[in-house]
Amino acid sequence: MIRPDAREKLSGEAVYGTDLAVERMLYGAFVPSPVPNGVVRRLDLGPARRVPGVVAAVGPDELDRLCPKHDLERPLFPKVAVSYYGQPLAAVAAESPAAARAAVRAVVLEVDAAPPLVDVEELYPAWPEASARGDARTVAHVLARDGDLVEAFARADLVHEETYRTSGVHQVAIEPHACVAEVADGRWSVTTTTQTPFGVREDVSDLLGIPPEKVVVTGTWVGGGFGGKGSSFLEPYALLLAAAAGRPVRLALSYREEFQLGRTTLPMVVRLETAVRDGAITGRRVRLLLDSGASLPGRDFATGYAIAFLLGPYRVGAFEMEGYAIRTNKPPFGPHRAPLAPQCAFALESHTDSLARRLGIDPVEFRLRHVWREGDTTPLGLRVGPFGLAEALERARALRDRWRADGSGSGRGLGVACGFWSTGTGAGGEARLRLGPEGLAIVEGEREIGSGSVVGGLVDVAVRVTGLPPTAVRVVYENTATAPYDTGVFGSRTVGALGQAVAKAAASLVRTLADRLGSRAPVSLEVKGGRVVVVSGRLRRSLEALLTPEERRAGGLVATGKHYGRSGPIDERRVVDGTFYGYQDFTATVALAEVAVDKETGQVSATRVAEFLDVGVALNPALVTAQVEGGVAMGLGTALTEEMLWRDDGRLGNPGLLDYRVPTITEVPPLTVELLEGHKGAGPFGAKGVGEPPIIPVPAAVANALADATGARVTELPLSPERVARALKPL
Amino acid sequence: MGFELLRPATVPQAVALASAAAPGELAVLAGGTDLLLDVDRGLVAPRRVLSLARLPWHSHRWAKGGLTVGSAEPLRNLELDPRLARRLPGLHDAIRAVGSVALRERATLGGNVVRAAPASDLLPILLAYDAVVDVVGPEGRRSVALDALLARSREPALGHGELVASVAIPTTADSVYRWQRVRPANDVSQVGVAVVRSTERPYWRVALGGVPSRPLRLHDVERELARARPTREELGRAAAVAGASAPFVSDKRASEPYRRRVVALLLTRSVEQLLARATPKAG
Repeated sequence: MIRPDAREKLSGEAVYGTDLAVERMLYGAFVPSPVPNGVVRRLDLGPARRVPGVVAAVGPDELDRLCPKHDLERPLFPKVAVSYYGQPLAAVAAESPAAARAAVRAVVLEVDAAPPLVDVEELYPAWPEASARGDARTVAHVLARDGDLVEAFARADLVHEETYRTSGVHQVAIEPHACVAEVADGRWSVTTTTQTPFGVREDVSDLLGIPPEKVVVTGTWVGGGFGGKGSSFLEPYALLLAAAAGRPVRLALSYREEFQLGRTTLPMVVRLETAVRDGAITGRRVRLLLDSGASLPGRDFATGYAIAFLLGPYRVGAFEMEGYAIRTNKPPFGPHRAPLAPQCAFALESHTDSLARRLGIDPVEFRLRHVWREGDTTPLGLRVGPFGLAEALERARALRDRWRADGSGSGRGLGVACGFWSTGTGAGGEARLRLGPEGLAIVEGEREIGSGSVVGGLVDVAVRVTGLPPTAVRVVYENTATAPYDTGVFGSRTVGALGQAVAKAAASLVRTLADRLGSRAPVSLEVKGGRVVVVSGRLRRSLEALLTPEERRAGGLVATGKHYGRSGPIDERRVVDGTFYGYQDFTATVALAEVAVDKETGQVSATRVAEFLDVGVALNPALVTAQVEGGVAMGLGTALTEEMLWRDDGRLGNPGLLDYRVPTITEVPPLTVELLEGHKGAGPFGAKGVGEPPIIPVPAAVANALADATGARVTELPLSPERVARALKPL
Repeated sequence: MGFELLRPATVPQAVALASAAAPGELAVLAGGTDLLLDVDRGLVAPRRVLSLARLPWHSHRWAKGGLTVGSAEPLRNLELDPRLARRLPGLHDAIRAVGSVALRERATLGGNVVRAAPASDLLPILLAYDAVVDVVGPEGRRSVALDALLARSREPALGHGELVASVAIPTTADSVYRWQRVRPANDVSQVGVAVVRSTERPYWRVALGGVPSRPLRLHDVERELARARPTREELGRAAAVAGASAPFVSDKRASEPYRRRVVALLLTRSVEQLLARATPKAG
């Protein structure tokens, strides 16, 4: 297929955030904290303002003055306490980037440094005592339990106990964050590369204390999001500078800053204890120690959502799960494709594999005995709907056995791992369709971020409902002042949630046209000679003839649709502390990896990978397959090479793409993608979200293949050569 | 951050421009894949950049005794010459270890010599070949052994106004370059080992990259490998010496003990590979 956005992107017509330039635009820059932890003694912006070409300099005082109702809990600039290296303490806007840099250097800044906390295990070498819940560094604590775990452990034939550690990983969108802001006539306008224009509007409104109707956000084409553009970042700073300068201000990160300031997935420690009796799991305790950086977005979302991935898509009997998120001196935590699920799956699926091997049971067979099936209830009391995990596992086992037979040689190993995800997050949205004589327009505020869910997925939904050819359906982007509200392109929700709003609007259009045609039977739409024709049996009328004069003047017939999903209710009796999140619309995924291992150097290479994804219905198999391929490639990076290396002094040691290693095409082996249809989800036509799930099982499958090849269980990501070499033979 | 780009068309003009610059004022551009990263990061801030692009140094030629490579010749041109893998297989290995195809379209052998990076993948094999560098400057031309030219990291022993014109690489019986990295493609080698085999004494020449502050010849390892066909024990001792003797450090790319282990391993594998290639398969 040819992607609908291919021409604009390949020709260079597509304008991304980093391409933005407007007349009289100034260049913004942050005044970064020189220390990761400490206290600001003095901040004097006067000398910066005197640098030639500087138009504005803003710090905490200007924030108070220009935005008197700004959020005092989350100020843009700290007044006193610095939380991470490079944290913006002030910002400047100047006629040129060079003048802005000179102004940053001219700022008089005195900061008393304090020792940073970089590693959560430095604070808690063992598990935190209960008193840690009240500690200033604890930003979230969650605890849930059910059943008699003490009994399960006491009566177990075997208790399998392991600790796993994962690394910080960056989203590495090709396009860094960038925006242009302007404040004029009481309107706070920002054009930005984002997954969520309406989310940015809400954030800006909250952070700056400006009524949302005065904030207008316009999305650009997005050069990759992966969660990194899922909330506001630079926009409120750019708006504050623009308000101070009275001119448009561009604020954009260099790739180095993208690493140093990026809100990324941070390291975590997972402790797992599983009780087994008669070959079946009877109890499990999971404990999660999460590095939250300077703060956790969305309250304790990361902890309360992620931790349930550690119980797995398995029946575990009695359980207890407890998680702490600990504040460290790093930039705030941020989501990365399927936030924390690949990390949790690495821990859980490695653990499941090593447990099965210890029991002498085939790891796939062991999983099949425990996986959720439709109608099961999860540990948090949610009902499992149509769910393709067992089928995916069966298929993976069959392919694994074929690969085993066709000659994995010496040093090769095969590993299987499961993942699951909830693609109906409950985040809702609205759609507006406009059907004119030449075709259908889907009016949207959010932009295509590269996955194809907007230019492909939403279009496919409209095509299926109306019968129009894809070439007659286009997406029209408007800003938040005029576009219908939607929460954004994240959480694998675009097709599943917003797609339902599109389907409802399209169905409403079709019903209206049937009425006007006087047809009791459903109508469908065709294009003849470039004009839309309404068809019902032998009845055919041009659309034009069915429009009112007002509709013709307005460009067509307009219909709207809304979809606000519900999260499944969790069983609150099982919750002891904190907030857990209801999943719904489960999707399943299984990865099979074959690796070659150099047992001396520790080099692990994936030689072939297969992934089996429960998609409900594949509305656009080419785009879905591309999502799986991209997810596998990204997962191989998490598995083998990607790692943010913080030094003891709180600075990132590898802020660039040379030493933060994403896979290149030569590290991505031949991939097999199998899409499982039939376990229908809640999305349009039974579709389930597919953006995030594919990455989830990949690191675990690679780790299990490594264990299969060598007998060594490496318990820390990434499985880089030196780490593997040490596991095989201590240095 | 801006600089003036100088693009002389003749060697005397280039030498005159290089000689006229004040110390630190001028940087030489021969591809720019390394230099421009440093400029971008503000590590160097040359006011003038002298490009070699228009000089007649954009070629390589084979002669009976070896290969001469003009200092502005892109690595990709060497890689695509089918004679390279046959006559200097170790250099072919090393070139293919540098960055990506796109990067090798710009990166040059001369640039690698002058930038003198400790982790260069090209310098170890050039050291093992006993490559000779042809230098041109205000005092005329001179030839200097690469080993003598490499002083400290990023500071080759060139006189004021001197430019590297070409590098001469003598052919030899066989050679190999092996490296270890976290990511196979487009990464900086944690260590690199170059081994050259000769049909006469000394039979083996060995060099190492990934150590501060410059790639090194491992003469003590070469002494252990005295014979044309070292025994397993002699090779084991040589590997142990290689692992023990070089000045490894721990940094963000690898720990010192890992580097020691891998260097010994790569040396062993390299020598075994060359011995296997030297022995025609029976039957």
